[in-house]
Amino acid sequence: MSTVRLESIRKVYGEEVAVDGVDLEIRDGETLGIVGPSGCGKTTTLRTIAGFETPTDGRVTFDGTDVTHVPPEKRNVGLVFQSYALFETKTVRKNVTFGLKMRDVSKTERRKRADELLELLDIADLADRNPATLSGGQQQRVGLARALAIEPHVLLLDEPMTGLDAELKLRLRDEIGSLLDELDVTALYVTHDQEEAMAMCDRIAVLNDGRVEQVGTAESIYRQPTNEFVATFVGTSNLLTGVARDDRIDLGFTELADDMRTTGEVTVAARPEDFSLGGPVDATVLETTYLGQRKDLQVELPDGSTITMQVDGDADYRAGDVVGVEIDPENVQIFPTGIRERTTALL
Amino acid sequence: MAFPTTERERERRRIVIMCLPFFVLATFAGFVPLIVMARMSLSAENLENAGWSFAAWEALVTEPVYREIAWNTLWFATAATVVSVALGVVISHVLEKYSLPFENVLVAVVSFPIALPGIVVAFMAIVLLGRQGLVTNAVAVFTGSSAIDLASATSVFGLFLGYVYSLVPRATMVLRGTYAEVDTRAEEAARSLGATPFETFYHVTLPEIRPGIVAAFILTFRSALAIFGTVLILQALAVVTLRIDYEIGVGFNTQIAGAIGLVYALFLIAFTFVGLRFVSNKTVEI
Repeated sequence: MSTVRLESIRKVYGEEVAVDGVDLEIRDGETLGIVGPSGCGKTTTLRTIAGFETPTDGRVTFDGTDVTHVPPEKRNVGLVFQSYALFETKTVRKNVTFGLKMRDVSKTERRKRADELLELLDIADLADRNPATLSGGQQQRVGLARALAIEPHVLLLDEPMTGLDAELKLRLRDEIGSLLDELDVTALYVTHDQEEAMAMCDRIAVLNDGRVEQVGTAESIYRQPTNEFVATFVGTSNLLTGVARDDRIDLGFTELADDMRTTGEVTVAARPEDFSLGGPVDATVLETTYLGQRKDLQVELPDGSTITMQVDGDADYRAGDVVGVEIDPENVQIFPTGIRERTTALL
Repeated sequence: MAFPTTERERERRRIVIMCLPFFVLATFAGFVPLIVMARMSLSAENLENAGWSFAAWEALVTEPVYREIAWNTLWFATAATVVSVALGVVISHVLEKYSLPFENVLVAVVSFPIALPGIVVAFMAIVLLGRQGLVTNAVAVFTGSSAIDLASATSVFGLFLGYVYSLVPRATMVLRGTYAEVDTRAEEAARSLGATPFETFYHVTLPEIRPGIVAAFILTFRSALAIFGTVLILQALAVVTLRIDYEIGVGFNTQIAGAIGLVYALFLIAFTFVGLRFVSNKTVEI
């Protein structure tokens, strides 16, 4: 396993900038997630590490060795694709032994290692089957076994759960997460599913428009987003407009303390769970969405703005009800309007 | 006849209606001529179907010239097909895997010979490789040899080039379609697992395009057997189409022509059926 570093990676296709100065480090043995909207540069970044894209600028290093111009077959990188990309003219076992065969490992050793991995992934009984006859989950396990068989410097997973049904996705997510921890693999996990990234990754990088917006643990990204984009992309955030002056922020319907002495117009990001009922602000319920254990309420505040908040699933609220709302100032984030980066700490 | 009342019955009717033109064509352009040729080959009289005789079939089996023609036809068509399909694989690979400048122009250039009559292809071979051909004279100037000695348009080599020129677009057309279906992610997976581009082609791409190669081989081989104009002009090798023309046009030997035609058609049908078995068998390892 290795430490992988991307230094000022920039990738341009004609006039299109796909990746714009990305600096990232995947630490030895960690799983780094990359999340972001479609077209943000996630897959280009992954393909740059794999060697299928040569960056326009910047460099890629594995344990300090520059591999920017090293061809894919010499990088020792494991790839797992959303579409599985298995060799359908070969059996499951031959898929898994393929990388070892390319490395001239003896047939006996190849078979032994493949069988160990298939056992580990609980698909030993499928060894002689054709991949096309397997279910999506089984095929993805084969893809993972094939990539792990070569003991890669880094394992690159490109949306591996997309396309699987919800139940299988949850099960496979736990299994893969445990396996990566158990094998201490350095891995990059690209996904558009932030919940998946939060569950599986040690740290997460949020990409937008080819740039890294924030890198951190799932908790820090959720609780301390550095800008409006991260606040709204990761989880749900209510963005409220306020004016900061004299250590206070006036939101129109209530005031918050601001010990960072911001001045001027600000945006306050508050999660749905940062609002609670029984407060002094009268709000009108516009819509309710029942989600089992919880219920989401869309409520209109006195200043006309709309927020989403969460209540217990059994709570009986209907559109038109007037409820008392309060905001928990402890966890809200404050961003000066028009400036991308957050300048205040927690309230 | 009762009108169909269920969707299944209506579907059957649609299938029958849509297939009818093909069956009419197959009957009158295929089955009927085959019967007529069979009768012609067994006729006791020349130029008319009268009486019964196995003389033509006996001649076909016993006279060495017909064995030689069969052998010439088979080896020449096979060699031209193998080279054309191999070139088709290379051209399809380049066209499908790489972003090329003026790609549409390249595709047009590659597919252009398919529209050329065999006679024109033969003429092009003469213009380039004949005694006064451009290539012949350029090589003659370069090497100091005689252009007459170097001329190869009417040799087997010249004929071979003419065949390949006509057949490459046919092979390429089939193979490009197959290449478009190749899982590029699987190829990338192979590269990441340590396979060089050639190893990736051999272990991943080739097995995937194998049905396309077989299909291209069938189509190209059948086309190679059917080429007439080119061989008629260049006359470099006695092949079956040329011999049928000779038997009818020069020898007025319709019995032999019928027998050759029947063997030729039955061979093509059998070859196509055998070949299609390989096309449908996709799970093959190399």
